[in-house]
Amino acid sequence: MSLLTRIAMILSFLGHYPSYILAYIIETLIVIIFGTVVVAGMVYFFRKYMARVQMRIGPNRVGKFGVLQVMADGLKLIQKESIMPQGRDDLPYKVAPLLIFIALMMGFIFIPYGPLAWLGTLTVTHSDVSLVILFALIAIMPIGELLSGIVSNNKYAVLGSLRGVAKDISFEVPMMLSVLAIVMMASARGVSPLDINGVVQAQNIPFAILEPLGFFVFLISMAARASYSPFDMGESDSELVTGNTTEYSGLRFGMFYLGLFGTIFLGSLILSTLYLGGYNGPFESYVGFIWLLIKTLVVVVISLTIWLSMPRVRIDKFVTFGWKYLLPISFINLVITGFIILGGIS
Amino acid sequence: MIDVKEVEEPKTIPIIGSIEGMYTVFKHLFQKPVTVQYPEHKEDQGDRFRFRIYLSTDDCVGCTLCEQVCPNLTITMVNLDKENPRNKRKIYPSVNFGTCTVCRNCEEICPTDAIYLKDVFETARTKNSFFYSPTELEKNEDEVRR
Repeated sequence: MSLLTRIAMILSFLGHYPSYILAYIIETLIVIIFGTVVVAGMVYFFRKYMARVQMRIGPNRVGKFGVLQVMADGLKLIQKESIMPQGRDDLPYKVAPLLIFIALMMGFIFIPYGPLAWLGTLTVTHSDVSLVILFALIAIMPIGELLSGIVSNNKYAVLGSLRGVAKDISFEVPMMLSVLAIVMMASARGVSPLDINGVVQAQNIPFAILEPLGFFVFLISMAARASYSPFDMGESDSELVTGNTTEYSGLRFGMFYLGLFGTIFLGSLILSTLYLGGYNGPFESYVGFIWLLIKTLVVVVISLTIWLSMPRVRIDKFVTFGWKYLLPISFINLVITGFIILGGIS
Repeated sequence: MIDVKEVEEPKTIPIIGSIEGMYTVFKHLFQKPVTVQYPEHKEDQGDRFRFRIYLSTDDCVGCTLCEQVCPNLTITMVNLDKENPRNKRKIYPSVNFGTCTVCRNCEEICPTDAIYLKDVFETARTKNSFFYSPTELEKNEDEVRR
């Protein structure tokens, strides 16, 4: 029994269809709250992790161990005056941060969260093409990045967004090719391959073991998608002020900021669902959600370590890397996957 | 034309260096932070640390040696109406801690050990002057008007 049917059962006095519609809305709200809390937690975790790695203490004044620091920062951002540049294109300027934030929050809905004790499965939607929708949502985010830069009438912002888009184009083709390899694997198992739930069920052996090259390409692509330190050409804070977010302040800037951290978490979730077995645990258990969270946290720690240990790559070097190395690697991965399927190892 | 010599870089596996760097960063997670939470926790200053100048007006003979030896006019002698048979001129040193370099020449030269330094260093004030009169130099830091 899933969480959806449990909520619908509670609301069953309304009749069949209204109760299910309301249950869907409530479950979506729960996921959005989960997403917001997780993103705030990510900000706190990043600040604490960065501080500990640099042998500092980190936020510890607001609340116990500084837990409420993120809330205090958020309150500050909400209260701040929103200063907008002259000569901006008004509508896209205001839409861009929303686009990133909404695409991120919608991404959380399509993840299969797996079962959690008596609550049943927490997965919200059971679409047959959830993989496609998820990557379509991820592909929306660069549009927000591009709009925010071009529209805000600032040379640094334009340069930042151009760099960001060059980066996005150069990794997204290899990323989709590595996803294609996964779809091949899943379809060889006879499950519906475009449903992420099916992909998770197909992983008796995690795909990261069968396709290490694809895992590598996808890890780098997710790092580049979230655009943190080795791949933060869009932001380039030492050269371009803050790149495409230069002219944003207050809550709109906060949305970009949360979008960055949320993308790290969403990327880690997708990585652990597609490559590390998702909610499948080493034992046959009914707490798959916990397994998913543990895997995601490990990937998050790896991502943050990548962030904190590497300097920014020059944009032309990354574009070269994307087209000349990642793309051939992902093609090789496709071929290897084909052999694995022919050999029947999966 | 200048011949540019092409230096051959040693061949390395590209990913290994990055992973080593990540490991180095991750290792620091388990080390103790170096930050000291100052007002709550205070670090040891060491046995020989001195900052605040104290004065015992009963011992001071008003010889002005400390004023003469002070390198940047931090110490000036001022009048203080106090009965002291050894100090007929009734002059005592006053200290401006804004310029004191803690060279400890005054402590060294004082013939009666009337001037001495202690390891008190929290002399922050709100009255925008670090000038200490002789009576203030006698008191502890928490008794001095701030």
